[in-house]
Amino acid sequence: MKPFSSLNRIFSNIPIHAALILLCLLWIVPTLGLFVTSFRPREDVRTSGWWTVFQPRQVVGETEYDTYCASCHGADGKEISAADLSSPELLVDYPRSNRLLTALRKDIDGKPHLSDPALPSNPNKALDTLSKILDYMRSLSSGGTAKERFTLRNYADALVGYKGTQDYLTDCQQGVASALAKFQCNSSDLLNPEGMGRALLNTIMVAVPATILPILLAAFAAYAFTWMDFKGRQLLFIILVGLQIVPLQMTLVPIARLYAQLGMQSTFYGIWLFHTAFGLPYAIFLMSNFLRGLPRELFESAYIDGANHWISFWNMALPLALPAIAALGIFQFLWLWNDFLVAKIFLTTQPVLTVQITNLIDPRGGNWHILTGAAFLSFIIPMLVFFAFQRYFVRGLTAGAVKG
Amino acid sequence: MVPTIMKQGRIAPFLYLLPAMAVITIFIVYPMIETVRLSFTNRYGTGTAASSCLPGNPCWGIFENYRYALTNPEMLTALRNNALWLLLMVPVTVALGLVVAILADRVRYESLAKAVIFMPMAISFIGAGIIWRFMYNIESGGGAQTGLLNAILVGLGLQPVAWLSNPAVNNLALMAVGTWLWAGFCMTILSAAIKGLSVEIIEAAHVDGANGWQTFRNITVPMIWPTILVVTTTMVINILKIFDIVFVMTGGNFGTEVIANRMFKLIVTDLGRSTAIAVLLVVLTIPVMYYNMRRFREEEAMR
Amino acid sequence: MKNKNKIWLIISVLVIFAMTLAACGAPATPAPTQAPVTTEAPAETQAPVATEAPAETQALAPVIDCMGAAAGDQLNVMYQWSGAEEEKINAIFKPFIDACGVQIVAESTRDAAVLDTKAKSTPPDVLFWPTTAPMTLYTAQLKDLGSLGADAGSYASFWQALGTTGGQWLAAPVKADIKSIIWYSPVQFETFGYSVPATFDELDSLVDRMAADGNIPWSMGFGSDAATGWTGSDFIQDLLLTQQGPDYVMGLIDGSIPYDDAGVVEAYQTYVKWAADPKYTVGGAEGTVNTPFLDAIYKVFSDPPEAMMVKQSGFAGGEIVKQYPSLQYGTDFDFFAFPGAKGMQGGADYMMAFSDTPAVKALVTYLTSAYGAQVWAETGFDLSPNKNAVGKYTDAQLSKKAEALANASGFTPDLGDTIPAPFGEAEWKAIIAAVQGEDIPKALAAAAAAQAEALKQ
Repeated sequence: MKPFSSLNRIFSNIPIHAALILLCLLWIVPTLGLFVTSFRPREDVRTSGWWTVFQPRQVVGETEYDTYCASCHGADGKEISAADLSSPELLVDYPRSNRLLTALRKDIDGKPHLSDPALPSNPNKALDTLSKILDYMRSLSSGGTAKERFTLRNYADALVGYKGTQDYLTDCQQGVASALAKFQCNSSDLLNPEGMGRALLNTIMVAVPATILPILLAAFAAYAFTWMDFKGRQLLFIILVGLQIVPLQMTLVPIARLYAQLGMQSTFYGIWLFHTAFGLPYAIFLMSNFLRGLPRELFESAYIDGANHWISFWNMALPLALPAIAALGIFQFLWLWNDFLVAKIFLTTQPVLTVQITNLIDPRGGNWHILTGAAFLSFIIPMLVFFAFQRYFVRGLTAGAVKG
Repeated sequence: MVPTIMKQGRIAPFLYLLPAMAVITIFIVYPMIETVRLSFTNRYGTGTAASSCLPGNPCWGIFENYRYALTNPEMLTALRNNALWLLLMVPVTVALGLVVAILADRVRYESLAKAVIFMPMAISFIGAGIIWRFMYNIESGGGAQTGLLNAILVGLGLQPVAWLSNPAVNNLALMAVGTWLWAGFCMTILSAAIKGLSVEIIEAAHVDGANGWQTFRNITVPMIWPTILVVTTTMVINILKIFDIVFVMTGGNFGTEVIANRMFKLIVTDLGRSTAIAVLLVVLTIPVMYYNMRRFREEEAMR
Repeated sequence: MKNKNKIWLIISVLVIFAMTLAACGAPATPAPTQAPVTTEAPAETQAPVATEAPAETQALAPVIDCMGAAAGDQLNVMYQWSGAEEEKINAIFKPFIDACGVQIVAESTRDAAVLDTKAKSTPPDVLFWPTTAPMTLYTAQLKDLGSLGADAGSYASFWQALGTTGGQWLAAPVKADIKSIIWYSPVQFETFGYSVPATFDELDSLVDRMAADGNIPWSMGFGSDAATGWTGSDFIQDLLLTQQGPDYVMGLIDGSIPYDDAGVVEAYQTYVKWAADPKYTVGGAEGTVNTPFLDAIYKVFSDPPEAMMVKQSGFAGGEIVKQYPSLQYGTDFDFFAFPGAKGMQGGADYMMAFSDTPAVKALVTYLTSAYGAQVWAETGFDLSPNKNAVGKYTDAQLSKKAEALANASGFTPDLGDTIPAPFGEAEWKAIIAAVQGEDIPKALAAAAAAQAEALKQ
């Protein structure tokens, strides 16, 4: 090897690295944005972009304050004790610049309150200036301590399903009765029907059985397709697998009507069965492909040794198919976890995570700060499952599509 | 083939198949037939579709709901948009998946890069909708932009864009979310196919003096072509059924309507029309389904 | 290669940690104390009803006429209220229960199908419903309220008309909220020397004066997810009430006036002139279409404000305080009735009776009486359309809203809430299209077609 060739390779690979890293950045930034936002206080979420957390907070209004106020009230606002600009009591009377403007328009000791310099005569310009001065006065009164930039309140609100006027933790500390009708302010709130905590349980209640059931049924069917001979085997297989293409939406109306007649609306077993049906075609396809790849001699010799189909299904096919089962399981679990449409229609009274997120949107809109927390709470388990079992998930995808 | 020595009765196979077939019959086959029937009835599913005709208006009799599905302006928008999704988003997503698969194949941090691209697959559409709000948001008044894209535009001295409500760009914006969600899927499958290629052929090409692009074009692509077709057909089916992204992000407003969203909206208010749209959707997938079936048969025959 | 898993594991663990922290952050009241309360509660609550009547209720009891209802009589009621609303209605029922000893069994549902099943099998004695639709569906089963002892004199004639069918008075409004109002900041108006307009022409010229001053008069926002467009629908209905009047709006609702009628075109033209122009509304058409409707409210009360006025229903007052707790009603924010509107737009819940037992008579009499109105007003469960409630509200905002309602010459339900869903959806689409610049008659044609179809039967 010549010494330059490896160097050469590194340089020729630079565009590859650049392109790949750029793509990865593009892919990660949206999620990162939500992640950062979920820890930001409500008002910040509404008024500034999430990337501003990486910039220092600016103190606004200092120049305006120095121009108009500092000469009389002093740099710290305390010069005139009757009108201490840094006192919170005084600020209560001036929540808005227009109130301050009204006050400043009144003369003081027969002279204009502000004369050197006078406020801009255009009220709009005056309000602009005064709102900055008010901001500065607020920072004076809070003693320069910055507002919190990160908070866990969004997560707390999302977990218990709080939709009140401030936030759950504050209301509990202050004992605001009107907002707490539904809350006990103890751990039982985690199971409040409107919260993400309860929705998490509901989701698990849906996802676990509806993952196991189709895989088991598919294993039976796939076994029959692989190791048994019967008339119409090929055709039946193609039909079942072909049903993968049926859009789920096509069956919603008749099933919803059927459930209404049977009194099965909003029951867990109703949604289990529905998901089972739609998981089956792909599961049968994948399991059959996998079972077909198992060594045939193994089954033949077991058969000769006296094992019947029932025994060889449980003792050989199922254990040997574990990789396929794992792949399918993860695939189905993630699909169930993230499903919105089916749960929205068939499980209205026991909302799952995705449905609960949309419920958290205030009937009148808004609540974005809580949604960010709620969304991330719903990501935790699928992310964990995905990254822990990524190998199997990928295998589940590729096994279906690529031969081998 | 099934080992001939493993005999079983004539009933046994069907006992193994029974549970799966029962569930599939009740939840897929029966509803399909029922859906077709309902598509010829009125909005409550009580009378024939012809009874929803208004005097003085065009009427297709029993096919009235199909008249709606094929001629209503909202539906025409939806059909146009689905076509747009198919033509723009499917090629871009498959190509992007291929590019990432090829690029990642040549670096050390391959699995990290692939995990990043793949991650959105683990996220719900509802979650994706919330994530992308913080990209597309627009502030029309004097306040600061809270959406990243518009903050960048404003930072560059440009006007902010209403990504989701401006008909000139909103369909593209939604497709970008779709690409973000699905590129990982395409990448994973294509990557597996590339890994399956024999190293010798690629190396032989290099020895013969082929550069990277030539190898890619003349060797890699032709060899994984069947897989590319699989990925493309799967994406076509996914996109024909596209619903969640539109539902979550625009609700089908501002000219972003798609077929499946129309169907969902009408489920409550008009059974006949909703089911007619569902049938239309299946009819549109039939060519793809036929293609897939044939491919599967060929593979079976090769075994 | 394992590193990437670790990174994500760490992030995930951090998030879980955050969750746990948040959960533990709640002050932990010891759970065990909770348990005994719940078990003992039933016995405790039953006792006072039967035996000791508090001094307060004794004093009030004579005001309630029990119409011969005996203690222990059961009264089945059905309503849609839940949560905080249910607490309010219970507070309103309480003096009645205390006085007559009637036992109220309530069912809360929003599902019209449940009502339908019940109405056909075991109808509730008294029904509270947010539309008068049951009145037409179950006309034969419902009792004339006058014959039950309801005081018709407590209601303006338009209220009686809304609840009358075939000469029978079947539905009495018990609760209302108003939507034909405009929110503004009095101190901001004072700063610029603006005064509250009394007629539509005054509003029109005020809007132009604001624009000339360089102020943006309106803040509008459609953004409301699946319901995007409803704020425009409310605004246009107020314009229709101003330009045409309540009968016209009712005609649109029942389909006798097509939605592409010249009067609707006129209202759209007035609306779009404001809603699509950045001189008149924050961000022009783009701002109107994209701004979430709550943000549109906030923009009028931020510092400095981005606009001078926002047209929004009664609930906006609560949202303003929620967003800006330091603002004071009457100084920093207030509202006025939509100037020149001939009739008020709003939502109302109606009381209907399926039976005529003494207990039913007693409840109907109580709620339509002056005393019932007073209890309703003091409880502050939105507004009572009962005339006697005026002046009895303890909450200043409610008091002023009640005045606006009492001064209204008519009442129309919110068109968007009343018309069938396909028509409603088409209406919103037409509004969005018109604001985004589509030719108005063309935009209205599709909505009119949907209206004709939806109201065919």
